Amino acid sequence: MISKISPRWKLAAIFVFALVLPWLPLGSSTNYFLRVINTAILYMILALGLNIVPGFTGLLDLGYVGFYGIGAYTAGLLTIHYNLSFWMILPLAALNGAMWGILLGAPTLRLTGDYFAIVTFGFSELVVLVIRNELWLTRGPMGLPGIAPPVIFGHPLKLEWEFYYLVLLLLMLVMLVASRLEDSRLGRAWFAIREDEIAAQCCGINLIRYKIIAFAISASIGAMGGAFFARWFKFIHPDMFKFWESILILCLIVFGGMGSITGTMLGALILIPLAEILRAVLPQGMFNARYLIYGLILVLMMRWRPAGIIPFDRAQESKAARMRQRLTALGSKE
Amino acid sequence: MRKLLCVVLVLGLITGVAWADSIKIPVASPFTGQLASFGEGVKNGAALKASEINAAGGVNGKTVKIVLEDELCDPKEAATVATKLANDPAVVVVVGHLCSSATLAALPIYREAKLPAISPASTNVDIGKMSPYYFRNVYRDDFQGAFLARYVDEVKGFKRIAIFYEVNDYSMGLMSAFMKEAIKRGITILGTEAYTSDTTDFKPQLTKFKMMRPDAIFNPGYAPQGTLIATQAASLGLKVSMFGADGLDDDLMVKNPDAEGLFVTTPFLPDKAGPQAAKFIESYKRVYGKDPNWFAANTYDAVGMAAEAIKAVGMDREKIQAYLAGINSLDKAYVGVAGKTYFDENGDCLKAAFIKEIKNGKWVSSQQQLQ
Amino acid sequence: MAGRHAHLRGLARAIHEISGLSRGLSVENLLDISSLFLQQLVNGITLGGVYALIAVGYTMVYGVIQLINFAHGEIYMLGAFLAYTQVTLLRLPFFVAFLTTLLICAVFGVILDYVAYRPLRTAPRLAALITAIGMSIFLQNLALLLWGSQIKSYPRDILPRLFFKPALTMGEVSLSWLQVFILSITVIFMLILHLIIHKTKVGMAMRAVSQDKVTSALMGIGVNRVISFTFAIGSAMGGMAGILVGLYYNAIFPTMGYIAGVKAFAAAVLGGIGSVPGAMLGGGVLGIAEVLGAGYLSSAYRDGISYAVMILVIIFKPSGLIGQILGEKV
Repeated sequence: MISKISPRWKLAAIFVFALVLPWLPLGSSTNYFLRVINTAILYMILALGLNIVPGFTGLLDLGYVGFYGIGAYTAGLLTIHYNLSFWMILPLAALNGAMWGILLGAPTLRLTGDYFAIVTFGFSELVVLVIRNELWLTRGPMGLPGIAPPVIFGHPLKLEWEFYYLVLLLLMLVMLVASRLEDSRLGRAWFAIREDEIAAQCCGINLIRYKIIAFAISASIGAMGGAFFARWFKFIHPDMFKFWESILILCLIVFGGMGSITGTMLGALILIPLAEILRAVLPQGMFNARYLIYGLILVLMMRWRPAGIIPFDRAQESKAARMRQRLTALGSKE
Repeated sequence: MRKLLCVVLVLGLITGVAWADSIKIPVASPFTGQLASFGEGVKNGAALKASEINAAGGVNGKTVKIVLEDELCDPKEAATVATKLANDPAVVVVVGHLCSSATLAALPIYREAKLPAISPASTNVDIGKMSPYYFRNVYRDDFQGAFLARYVDEVKGFKRIAIFYEVNDYSMGLMSAFMKEAIKRGITILGTEAYTSDTTDFKPQLTKFKMMRPDAIFNPGYAPQGTLIATQAASLGLKVSMFGADGLDDDLMVKNPDAEGLFVTTPFLPDKAGPQAAKFIESYKRVYGKDPNWFAANTYDAVGMAAEAIKAVGMDREKIQAYLAGINSLDKAYVGVAGKTYFDENGDCLKAAFIKEIKNGKWVSSQQQLQ
Repeated sequence: MAGRHAHLRGLARAIHEISGLSRGLSVENLLDISSLFLQQLVNGITLGGVYALIAVGYTMVYGVIQLINFAHGEIYMLGAFLAYTQVTLLRLPFFVAFLTTLLICAVFGVILDYVAYRPLRTAPRLAALITAIGMSIFLQNLALLLWGSQIKSYPRDILPRLFFKPALTMGEVSLSWLQVFILSITVIFMLILHLIIHKTKVGMAMRAVSQDKVTSALMGIGVNRVISFTFAIGSAMGGMAGILVGLYYNAIFPTMGYIAGVKAFAAAVLGGIGSVPGAMLGGGVLGIAEVLGAGYLSSAYRDGISYAVMILVIIFKPSGLIGQILGEKV
């Protein structure tokens, strides 16, 4: 029944629902609920960013959390030392993320996929080590406390619903970028690389260049997510950017459907609140081992539904189907 | 969409449950994970105090219910737990957290929600200044580090010391306080070496220490690594004294024969505690079959203070904050099993520190204490 | 505030240097310096032997199916736990537990391949890699559920007494029997492995499969059987490394496989992935580099040394030290 409603209306309904969400009658638990939702939206942004590398170009990036951490510390330090506004920091963090993305990507993206995966992993571990040990810059394991929240129209954000609208805005921005990229020349080149590198190269696609662009964009989205995280959490600590985060985000996109924008977002929207439900449902010792489920999801999805719960983009598929129809129609005319 | 609604409903159900005729006092600490054995003392101390309060008729006619919140000593988890507590109107005061990084992540949330919290174990120096809603009934690392340096100088007479620290806030705060005092006293710090919490191979650093020929090695870390360090030092033939702070005050150390002779600072010693502690120690031994450690004693006191505050001013966060902030001089101090507690303007407190050591595989109070 | 600790650390270092200088370059001092170096070398070689044992599993599997088996680190961890459980819970003698653990780990490796990797043999590389990561995470958390997160240690009286006695003491330098045991086991098993690969029929099949699966199948080689055999051998070696490390540091915990696994992988890459002597060499070099780095450069950046070595080798010399020149692909 739902499928009969046109996608445009569905989108509008989701949008309206998202706008009024903080005002739903949830009683006393609204703030906690919104915090979980804010976390989910933040991870939707991160997942959209990561998705560009494995989803669009078919390369496994295990170091995504490194860019997330770079973004968070860029934002935290700029806020504490220079008191820059959030809107200044956001592009700066993105730029810093992209810069590191290019620095890391340029020499490593010519490697085969598995070497690339392990190099990105090493990179993210090195980022955490540097954050942890360079006390003069990051205060290391003392963390960075007292980061001021963003100020909008002279009003410093305080409550969860205020952050909710901010992160929602960011999500829409990233969504827009991701979906425009998907349909662009760039996106087509990436898909070509993902499907067959050699064929893509033969079609005149400069593999390294397109891969570096993908990696840099992905890194800058991760860094933006980090910037929001720092100003929202008001405290950052090297332990928050461990390898596990990369796995979690990877799990979100694998679950939702690698390469699919809606799937990626849905993955985050389902799995992040799931962790909170597990916290309440599972006994403590078992909650500690909740990554067991994430590992299992990775294995099972790859085995039985490698395309995710939303098998690729329906829109893409129908576009392809239409094209095929048109082609067969053309063929029959001849 | 429907899934989302389900999530909404489930979350609402989970958090909306309220205890009608009991007072909820949440205790946030790691109860699982590497530092779970610290959490055990916290859990036992809190449970013991609650059962005693309830046996004596509860608080204002209601029973006290301890709710354990496990944050695994992880700053992210701590922030989520803190939000959950901050948004529960049935929660008016929190007892926690244990690790300083977890505390620092939870602080802004408690401050925003004007929710007072009492930490039984967070010793990091920076915490006090950050929120008027945060109190602790434990000394700070700068006091503990300086105290240890004083003890080492005056009682042990060590002149050459090497420091083996973990790269974390607790360990490094202690190290810097210790070094400041030690250098002032003319003790030579031969060198400092670092390790991380996931290290198991300490031999390269210990080998280096061995060649420095120190009088003693200071390990301001936690017990899970401390016991490994003791073993590996012994296997390298490094036979020098080792000492640490309250992070090594754990049964893990006693089980290790190589840790014989280790001494540590602690905020609580059963046989040095005053007469008011005798009953606590006795019932703790009866219920849990062992001596209470300082986590148990401090948590016991923190829960006591929370209950006292609720009894005096009722279920109101602001009033409880004002009540706790009002305990600001010795004559108003809360008399607990781990000494008298009163807060300065930062919510910090001055408490006595003691030294205990491992002798014949048992923790015993050191003969010489500093006043 | 931020500079406070850094400043103090600098101060300590300065004091340390002054005190070192004031003693002057006496004979005693020179002896100290050389025995420090020797002891660190001994530490490094032992560590390197362990890395080599784990690296062999990575390198063999990679050679045969071109997959980074991320779960290999977890097999190493399971090996440590299995031996620990048998010795402490079932009270089996150590050497019996040692052998059964090797056997269980070998079977486990085969099952892992059968369940997780075999169905994806023809799927894109990305799928197999993600499965390997997922398996690693899954096994690590399974161990967390089964054994808890606290560090487990062998009770002292349960192990052979000899392990803890020094085998060799030269001035300040000491080598324990346990270290001798670890090193000799490493060398012996590496030799056995080398013989298997080069002198037996199944070894020849392994080499063939690593060159070309389809052609090997056409020549009548049971490719899947050969892959299973590779997993069995590699996993047994990984499990053995786990037992030895568990003994050496007397610390067994669920996340032990994750860091050791990555470092061993770095060792495999350093030596030239796909080559067994390369893994041995890479392990040794990495172990020594790490210990000397921790001893002379910075103990805080210790783990970073392996990651940095790995990244640099991958970027500048992806074939490794003896990748394609000396070593034959397994």
